[in-house]
Amino acid sequence: MRNRVIGAVGVVLAACVLVSAPAAAQEKTGAKTGFMLKPGAARIVLMRPTIRVASQSTGGMSEPNADWTAQAVENIDKALRDAQAQLGNDVVSYDEGVSGEGALTAQYGNLFSAVADSVITYQFFAGNRLPTKKRSKEFEWSVGPGLSGLHSLDGADYALFINTRDDYGSTGRKVLQLFAALGGVGITSGVHIGYAGLVDLKTGELVWLNADRQMGGDVRTAEGAVKRVAQLLEGFPGKPGEPLAAGAK
Amino acid sequence: MFKFTTLALSVATMAAVPALAGNALVSPGAHKGIAKSSLSATPDGEWNRLGRRDGKFVELWTKDGDSLNKVTFFGGVPAGEPLFREADKKNRPLPKVSGTMLMTDIPTLLESSYRIQFNVNRISIDDQEPATLGGHPGLKFRYTFVSADDEVERKGEAIGAIVKDRVFLVSYEAPAIYFFEKDLPAFHQLAATLKM
Repeated sequence: MRNRVIGAVGVVLAACVLVSAPAAAQEKTGAKTGFMLKPGAARIVLMRPTIRVASQSTGGMSEPNADWTAQAVENIDKALRDAQAQLGNDVVSYDEGVSGEGALTAQYGNLFSAVADSVITYQFFAGNRLPTKKRSKEFEWSVGPGLSGLHSLDGADYALFINTRDDYGSTGRKVLQLFAALGGVGITSGVHIGYAGLVDLKTGELVWLNADRQMGGDVRTAEGAVKRVAQLLEGFPGKPGEPLAAGAK
Repeated sequence: MFKFTTLALSVATMAAVPALAGNALVSPGAHKGIAKSSLSATPDGEWNRLGRRDGKFVELWTKDGDSLNKVTFFGGVPAGEPLFREADKKNRPLPKVSGTMLMTDIPTLLESSYRIQFNVNRISIDDQEPATLGGHPGLKFRYTFVSADDEVERKGEAIGAIVKDRVFLVSYEAPAIYFFEKDLPAFHQLAATLKM
């Protein structure tokens, strides 16, 4: 009985937190103006996804969990293999070969995440836009032209980067969320971030980005990973059934 | 297991975090009172001043977002104060400025503060040389670091000085790939105009 009461209070408080949270209108997809990708027109290299899974302590600290990460890598890899044939273009998995460029491409993957993070923070959140970016409505982001010089990407037109980060809230964190609500403070339990982005290998420009800090799908399970990958690749340009030119949503 | 006091303190800490203020345009020309201090600069190009403040004596400028290029102005941090607002004062206290500090201690202060504040697990001070900051004798140093939060290798360049027992420090940081070199000339131009 006592547990039921606590549970009910929790649900009500959680609802209050959700209701009181600002309903910030946030874009989730952006594309370079004029960018268009016809099906069958390009060779796309799917870069090794950057996947991190952790638990979130009561204080909000992220504590990496190797087992969960290994599960997520396996699940997302499989889901991506199943999905890449449906993207409308020749999508091949990244192969370092004998180039010795694996570490550098991993750094580009991390850099892509930093760029995507900046796009979300300073472009997709309309109220937080940088004044120098506000005047131009253009989607102008880049990882730099150096990517085109990598031998392991010879012959490819675009690189598709995928990054996911999940922190699963501990019991303590969830309880803290309820206490915080009592104090009128809205805090989150868990982090579920996902970025998918297409980079033009001729210029290094980010031509399409799908990014969300509230992704669905539990990547620790096969079904959840399928859902996550579907969400990441939603609106992928050139995909059958999607518009050729991807624009902000 | 967590304790009620831990929860209460955590909630209180979160409630005390200031709300985000808007970002502002830094137009070309003279700008005084940077970081609420005597620091001034005259950039010849546009920057953005972030509404977010990382500490009482800190002001942040950027071109594309602070994870891609960031200039941090520390406007006279006095003895007994840390460089940044402490995120977890009890469990992860930051080193404080000391009244006996020399300017050659500034890189170590930055390094130890970054390890705690930004979850930096790799940082190296690559070189340092005498310089001037706003006409005062100072130290220029370059460094490289990686935060466990995003694993991006970043490079930094900073000029620091101790004036009247306060630490003045201006740093520029960006990912080593592409961004650092892209905006380094703009930082050098800015740094050359710093006055106090």
